[in-house]
Amino acid sequence: MRGFAAVLVLVFAGLASTVTADELPGGECLKCHLEIEDTIAELWKDDVHARAGIGCDGCHGGDPTRDVNELAKRSGSGYQGEFTAQEITLSCGGCHGDIEYMKARNPLLPVDQLEKYWTSEHGKLLAKGETRVAQCVSCHDAHGVREVNDAKSPVYAANVPAMCAHCHADAEYMSDFDIATNQYSEYVQSVHGKALLEKNDVRGAPACNDCHGNHGAAAPTVDAISNICGTCHSYNAELFLESSMASAFKDKSLADCVACHGKHLITHVSDEWVGDKPGTTCRKCHDEGDDGSDLALYFTDTITSVRQSFEEIEDLLGEAEAKGMDVTEGEDYSEAARQGLLQARTLIHSFSKPVMEDKVTEIAANQAAALEVGYAQLKAFEDRRRGLAISTLLLLLLTIGVAIKIRTLPPLE
Amino acid sequence: MSTSPENPERPLLAWVRDRYPIAQFAEWAKHKTVPIGPGAFWYYFGGITLFLFFIQVGTGILLMFYYKGSADTAFESVRFISAKVPFGWLIRSVHAWAANLMIFSVFIHMFSVFFMRAYRKPRELTWLSGIVLLALLLGFGFSGYLLPWNELAFFATKVGTDIIGVIPVIGEPIMYVLRGGEEVTGSTLPRFFALHVALFPALLTIFTAAHLFFIQLQGIHEPDAWKAHPEQRKTMPFFPHFFMRELLLWLITLNILAVLAVFFPAELGVEADPFSPAPAGIKPEWYFLSTFEFLKYMPAHVGPMEGEEFGLLIISLGFLLWCLVPWIDRGRGRAMTTIVMVTGMAILIFLTILTYLGFVA
Repeated sequence: MRGFAAVLVLVFAGLASTVTADELPGGECLKCHLEIEDTIAELWKDDVHARAGIGCDGCHGGDPTRDVNELAKRSGSGYQGEFTAQEITLSCGGCHGDIEYMKARNPLLPVDQLEKYWTSEHGKLLAKGETRVAQCVSCHDAHGVREVNDAKSPVYAANVPAMCAHCHADAEYMSDFDIATNQYSEYVQSVHGKALLEKNDVRGAPACNDCHGNHGAAAPTVDAISNICGTCHSYNAELFLESSMASAFKDKSLADCVACHGKHLITHVSDEWVGDKPGTTCRKCHDEGDDGSDLALYFTDTITSVRQSFEEIEDLLGEAEAKGMDVTEGEDYSEAARQGLLQARTLIHSFSKPVMEDKVTEIAANQAAALEVGYAQLKAFEDRRRGLAISTLLLLLLTIGVAIKIRTLPPLE
Repeated sequence: MSTSPENPERPLLAWVRDRYPIAQFAEWAKHKTVPIGPGAFWYYFGGITLFLFFIQVGTGILLMFYYKGSADTAFESVRFISAKVPFGWLIRSVHAWAANLMIFSVFIHMFSVFFMRAYRKPRELTWLSGIVLLALLLGFGFSGYLLPWNELAFFATKVGTDIIGVIPVIGEPIMYVLRGGEEVTGSTLPRFFALHVALFPALLTIFTAAHLFFIQLQGIHEPDAWKAHPEQRKTMPFFPHFFMRELLLWLITLNILAVLAVFFPAELGVEADPFSPAPAGIKPEWYFLSTFEFLKYMPAHVGPMEGEEFGLLIISLGFLLWCLVPWIDRGRGRAMTTIVMVTGMAILIFLTILTYLGFVA
């Protein structure tokens, strides 16, 4: 039985490999390269181009109908085995930048990759003759090119940081480029890095390319920072850009969001960041006692006060609930206040006391309502106990009355 | 309005007496007696159960003023009853606790009848009607548990109806009818509500009337020893002696209910969401815990049967034997009586242990 199963497996495995080799474009080139167990041929099986019907000659030229090496690569067949970095970009860009060609094959795919590439730091250096920069195959691979949403692709969101770090974290490799190499080690500790790499949030968390661009990768300019962060954190960016702080930052050439939150090492925001004490973010620019410092003090005092009120609410509602009282309404108010606190933290980016005062008034109203429910439920519990005491007394009197009546009944025979 | 020469100060009584034979009823009541044997205390639990049933009817009607029996509205309506309706929390808590106490009381009543061997001829039908009443009360508990439409009740009902579905041949159709489909959904709630407030009360009223009628007709069971020693026979008048003592216990029961309702009010929990996964630790009400635990300990397969199927078969056979006890032990042989009593004690201990294990599980 086991032998029969083994034969079946072998037969199907043989059929499968034959079918794959026959179906893939590549003609005699592929057959030959598969026979010599060339890794290029193996990679080709999963390549998007192979699946799109593009053969080896699409990039390398040559004659794929010939099964003799010398004839397939003969002079005049257009065969080119290896490419320089410059040639790679032109070869890939030749098709991917051709609107009509791409429209007929993959109309959803952008066609400006090469155009953008020449605006990137990589492209600019390559144009100057620096070949140690990233070009198409550095990121996408050459013969095993997979779609971006394929988890095995090096440009799949969760793989991008490691892919960029392959060069950018290599201090020796980057030594001639006057650029830091700690971006990756910082990024993995950041909220973005943890969300992407630990929680696998490939749709929400940004990888390197989400801030720096893909084909046009470059360090963002100071002016672009709030737009880049604002792509996701739109309300924070909107508040900041409308605030008085936006122009102040510009005057001092401070990079909007980055000046307070950092770049690659963006950690969870803490209420302690805001304040007038040394070490707080505000004190990087403001001195104790100036308007900015006073506003920071107002923010920190307000948020601390709101947080302390939550402790009181939790204790109160917890006490009432432990006594079996229904505190759902109070919890609803408390939750609304918590949402308000989250919004208040965002409103710090408006750097406006009146805006914050409005929000705090709303939070305070919800917190007061939650407290009211808690106190009302505790009072209701006390009322219930009193009611129980009175009813117990009445029932006791009735019980005594009945007991006396029983004793006064005629004795049993 | 006419007056009676015998009772000139009670015209209403005279008016009734002129039209209805209440004098005969009064005469019957005057001579109705209750035996005072060694287990006389246990006789009171039948009356306590009846008293709790009256409380259930009263509080149930009050709850129906506000309860809305559909999946969209049930949970919120119960929350409204508990939070906003004056004394709504009290009515709901008393209803929930009285249900539990009633089932506890009826179990005590049943086992006391069993151990006093009061099921013997001529009281076979009283025994059977009592078992039907127990089954109906369990049905009340099962159907009422789902009505608040909270998460715990939803999944407990799912587990409970799953168990019904295991019964060969008839299980699946019954489960389908109870659920109103293949799964417990919003369609299940109106069905349970209808059972809880229409069908079960009607059946319970009929069987309670039959049960009481049998008791009045045949009198309360007297200890077997009195047959051999009639000189030991001792009774007390039902009115007022027994009734006053029963009233005393009713007052104490009422006070226990009030204490439970104030210090342990009925919880509501989280609204049921049919699409959410079942929370951990789903358990039925305490009176179904022994069955639940028993089925849990069943192996996956017993011979050609599924473990649960086999477990239900055992429970069904046990229930059938319990119903047939009056015909198994007819009091003709001491050996059979001893076997039945020891078996009954073993069942009681077994159910208690399984219920305890269910609690701590």
